[in-house]
Amino acid sequence: MQKSLIAVSSITYAMKAKKLLNNMGIYCEIQKTPKNLGSGCGYSIRVRDDLRYIFSILDRENIAHKAYQNLSE
Amino acid sequence: MIYFDNSATTFPKPRAVFDRADYAARYLGGNPGRSGHKMSVRAADEVYKVREKIACLFNAKPENVVFTLNCTHAVNFAMKGIMQSGGHIIISSLEHNAVSRPAFELMNSRRNVSVSVARVSESKDKTISNFKSLIRKNTKCICMMAASNVTGEILPFNEIAAICRKRGICFILDAAQGAGIMDIKLGSGINFICCAGHKGLFGLSGTGVLVSDGKYQLSTIIEGGTGATSLELKQTDFLPEQLESGTINVPGIVSLGAGVDFVKKTGINNIRKKEDRLCDMFVSQVEQLDDFTVIRDSGKEYAPLVSFSYKNANSFEVTEYLSKCGFALRGGYHCSALAHANLGTKEDGLTRFSPSVFNSETEVRKLTAVLKKVNNIGI
Repeated sequence: MQKSLIAVSSITYAMKAKKLLNNMGIYCEIQKTPKNLGSGCGYSIRVRDDLRYIFSILDRENIAHKAYQNLSE
Repeated sequence: MIYFDNSATTFPKPRAVFDRADYAARYLGGNPGRSGHKMSVRAADEVYKVREKIACLFNAKPENVVFTLNCTHAVNFAMKGIMQSGGHIIISSLEHNAVSRPAFELMNSRRNVSVSVARVSESKDKTISNFKSLIRKNTKCICMMAASNVTGEILPFNEIAAICRKRGICFILDAAQGAGIMDIKLGSGINFICCAGHKGLFGLSGTGVLVSDGKYQLSTIIEGGTGATSLELKQTDFLPEQLESGTINVPGIVSLGAGVDFVKKTGINNIRKKEDRLCDMFVSQVEQLDDFTVIRDSGKEYAPLVSFSYKNANSFEVTEYLSKCGFALRGGYHCSALAHANLGTKEDGLTRFSPSVFNSETEVRKLTAVLKKVNNIGI
């Protein structure tokens, strides 16, 4: 499965997303948003599941996701 | 020293509070939401867990829990954030200076803000009607306390919040004396809950909480680094970071989580019952003393604190004497100009007895024995 990085608004939303996804059995880690993905200091979640499915979960919980990038294995 | 000044700040704290503060200071040294290294993320994780606990306590979403320095800061954030563009605000006649001063400051510094003070009356219905009668077309906000820090009287805040909901008015609750002993929840009209972390929630000094239902976007009164949107000169515009500029108090917040755990484990109702029992015991003893007057009216509901006066000395002298005898109570005006003006106690103030769940009946008996002695031979 492709690894991806999803930028969220802040560390609080990264924590919220992580708890939510982990509770659903989806592995997820938090890291700083890299320079090319964000507009300043921010946090992202690193996932390896289907992005559309993850976006649907985040949208349902009003967790704004600004950008994403696929990471090479 | 037997401590009966828990309305000012609770003491002692549950042991876990000290343990968690120590743990946070030793092992959570990273700056949460800033650096991104492991220790920073671990600190952020622990802070988020406390957001979840507080959100659960007040029926909020974790991201709408803002950590502040104390209840006063929370009230200032909410009230000034709502009233930034002007309008009319109503407060009660028993408000702590945490509410009355920012309200009057807004009125005095801005032409477009007006303030009305609704009288807290003998009956709940009359108090509600007093608030209703002051509502105008431009009333933007009602800000009031859950319970008076001077008399302990519980105000009909749920009923007034429901009126606000119907009329589209923002309702801010100062829960400094309510959180941890009353089941206070967002919804039914309460848009913001402000409370101290160091009182009924048993956190350390320097902790407070502002909880929002998310309906109102607040303007900010403090701007700065939030760890988010860092390249923008405009302040971050979403909670909680919007209102948490600067590094947050990690040991304070993490240990507050242990305080909230204690409240939940012990049970809000059990804490209230124990403290009420101590207050009832105190009232029944002191009421028998001719030279003492207890500030309580029949038919009213009270939070567990009791204020009283002594005929032959002012409250400063009484508390000083009691301190020498080994008791910590608070005399004076309790930072409540409006309340003391309304009670007619601006001259001598009042002495306040405020027990916590950690006090015992034996300790109350020791205090009332001293008051009996004072009643017989003076101080």
